[in-house]
Amino acid sequence: MSAPAHPDSTDLDRIHAAVKREKADQAPSNAPAPMWAIFLLMLVSIIAGGQLGGNTGSLSFNTSNPFPAATPADDVRPGGSGAGDALDPFALAMKKGSSGYAVCGGCHQGNGNGIPGQFPPLAGSEWVQGGTERLIRVAQHGLVGAITVKGQGYNTPGGMMAFGAAMSAQDLANVLTYVRNTWGNEGTMITKEMVEKVRSEEKRATQWTEADLKPFADKNVAGDIPAGPGATAAPAAKK
Amino acid sequence: MDSTSNSPDLAADNQRRAAIDKSVRGPVLFLFLNGAFWLMLSTLLGVLSAVKLFAPGFLGDCEFITYGRLQPVHINALVYGWGIQVALGIMLWIMARRSGQELRSGKGRMLAAGVFWNITITVGLLSILMGKSTSMEWLEMPKFVWPVLLLCFLTYAWPIARMFGRAIRPEGFMVSTWYILAACFWFPWIFITANVALHCLPGLGALGAGINAWYVHSLILLFFVPVGVGAAYYFIPKITGQPIASQQLASFGFWALALLGGWTGMQKFMGGPLPAWMVAVGSAVGVILLVPFGLVGLNHHLTTLGKHDAVSYSPTLRFIFFGSLFLPVTGVILALTSAFWTGASMQFTQAWYAFQTVSVYGFFSMCAFGAIYYITPRLAGCEWLSVRLIRNHFWFSVYGVSTIVIMSLVAGWQQGADLNNPEHWNQDFMNHVINSRPYVMARAIAWALISFSNILFLLHLMLMVAGLGRRSNAPTLLHRDHGHDDTHTPAQASHA
Repeated sequence: MSAPAHPDSTDLDRIHAAVKREKADQAPSNAPAPMWAIFLLMLVSIIAGGQLGGNTGSLSFNTSNPFPAATPADDVRPGGSGAGDALDPFALAMKKGSSGYAVCGGCHQGNGNGIPGQFPPLAGSEWVQGGTERLIRVAQHGLVGAITVKGQGYNTPGGMMAFGAAMSAQDLANVLTYVRNTWGNEGTMITKEMVEKVRSEEKRATQWTEADLKPFADKNVAGDIPAGPGATAAPAAKK
Repeated sequence: MDSTSNSPDLAADNQRRAAIDKSVRGPVLFLFLNGAFWLMLSTLLGVLSAVKLFAPGFLGDCEFITYGRLQPVHINALVYGWGIQVALGIMLWIMARRSGQELRSGKGRMLAAGVFWNITITVGLLSILMGKSTSMEWLEMPKFVWPVLLLCFLTYAWPIARMFGRAIRPEGFMVSTWYILAACFWFPWIFITANVALHCLPGLGALGAGINAWYVHSLILLFFVPVGVGAAYYFIPKITGQPIASQQLASFGFWALALLGGWTGMQKFMGGPLPAWMVAVGSAVGVILLVPFGLVGLNHHLTTLGKHDAVSYSPTLRFIFFGSLFLPVTGVILALTSAFWTGASMQFTQAWYAFQTVSVYGFFSMCAFGAIYYITPRLAGCEWLSVRLIRNHFWFSVYGVSTIVIMSLVAGWQQGADLNNPEHWNQDFMNHVINSRPYVMARAIAWALISFSNILFLLHLMLMVAGLGRRSNAPTLLHRDHGHDDTHTPAQASHA
């Protein structure tokens, strides 16, 4: 059945071959639609109708939220729907700090008690509840060498890394506020501005030692603390 | 090939159809070839933009190939370069054939319009890459583009509508031609409305976003769907030799689409600052469109019933069969993204990409491939060269597009559910991005497979248009691996 290979061939039989093998067009027939299909499509229509009703907001041009009163009670977000206008900064810092603490908990443990001889405790620690200046500096730049916490000696090879350097000022402030107010600790809130102040004053690239930090032991970083529990918590720092 | 073809009536009819084919040859092949080029480019950009989504540093920090510029170019090339261009070719050929009309005049105008269409899109896409995007979805090309595109479209649509007007036809509903005629009118309506509203009316505010979403939905539902469905209604009976199963289903499906197709879009912004009823109506219609899609799918299924062997060896029917299988899937995905229960988790996620891909690629392009495999041999005067190329094209397309759609849908559901979960209030947004990376990687791989098959498709089509195809009376069928011989039976010969 092969034909000559020249494109200008006048072999009409071959040129029209594709046309000739076509089937004729036919008028549509009248097969009935199966019953199951009709029922299925009725179901679809009912579901579609369910999108209307209350969702239309009474067909008003001025309504974009037809369910304004919808405030789920189990919304756990601080300041989420239903929290009202007043957003407590201390509660927010505690909430965010608790998830940020996951990093610290690797060594200092979830209960804040550390591991004897290796990682010092945070719970009841004078380092934590003392001056905010020293605490921020430890977290920001790290700490190395032998130290004494709650009368016990600790010396971890390599010391504590400069974790704060990789965190935003806000995140670091949240974690430190959390640490200062958990496991029975009580301390004033540490704000983002305080962390930024310390960062701008101290640019060291090496870890601190206990002796270096002595001057800051009881110093608090100056700065406003938002009104609320974070400000009223009794400062345990020895003045 | 059968004995009746020697009767004088049939011989005259064959001559007439051959003359119609000859009259539309130039414009149709021009559109197909350029469309296939844009398709290849678009799928390659699909790979690149997916890679950019999980590895932003890939190929360096050059601003021209950032995700934000590549993705609109990828989609616009797919929609305007490939989709609408090839749709015009298919519309012209089917309308000429079904109306029994030769293209009498205007062939030169059509070719000029085709050249302008392609130049305009080239300029428009380069503008996007240069950072001149309008940031409106599917309308990212600069403002000056749309009047040119509209005029080019009308240069084709007007003669197509005239052919329908001149045709001697029996009374009643003409399934494929009505869909195609409707597409000729719906596209200008949608295109003018959206462009005038978005480019010429000041101060639309949030409604502008709604109109933009309406444009995307309507272009899919009132242009790509009717052209694809019209082609399927033409080719399935043509190849199986069975009449369309049900006149009533066909007619009901058409009118349901015509009445409902323009009401969707606003539901994309459910919960947003739009009047609630607009969103609710879009949502309800998005779900109920499953009815016409289901009816059309059912009708195609009933028409193919008992002839499924033709799906295995006719390239045309194989592509069209899977294309029309993707139509109800498109409907389901539209319903999922539209209904309030599921849409709340899917809005603004990759599920939106799943809908665009399944409708433009999974449904429309598969139907268009089927039509091209049927039409091109008739216009080029030679047969497709390689069974293997066609088969590769088919399987890569089917697996590729299914992967993209499923991955984007699952990724979208996961993203949306995670973002809406109150327990995740303190999660970094970056975590959601990182979680969706595997899906985006799968998307990149799938587009790469599709690109590979589309490069081969373009080469195959170029050879055909150059007249370098197989010289034979016999069609290229897929019924066996070494399909180059002519030993098939006459019964099978009529399937291509």
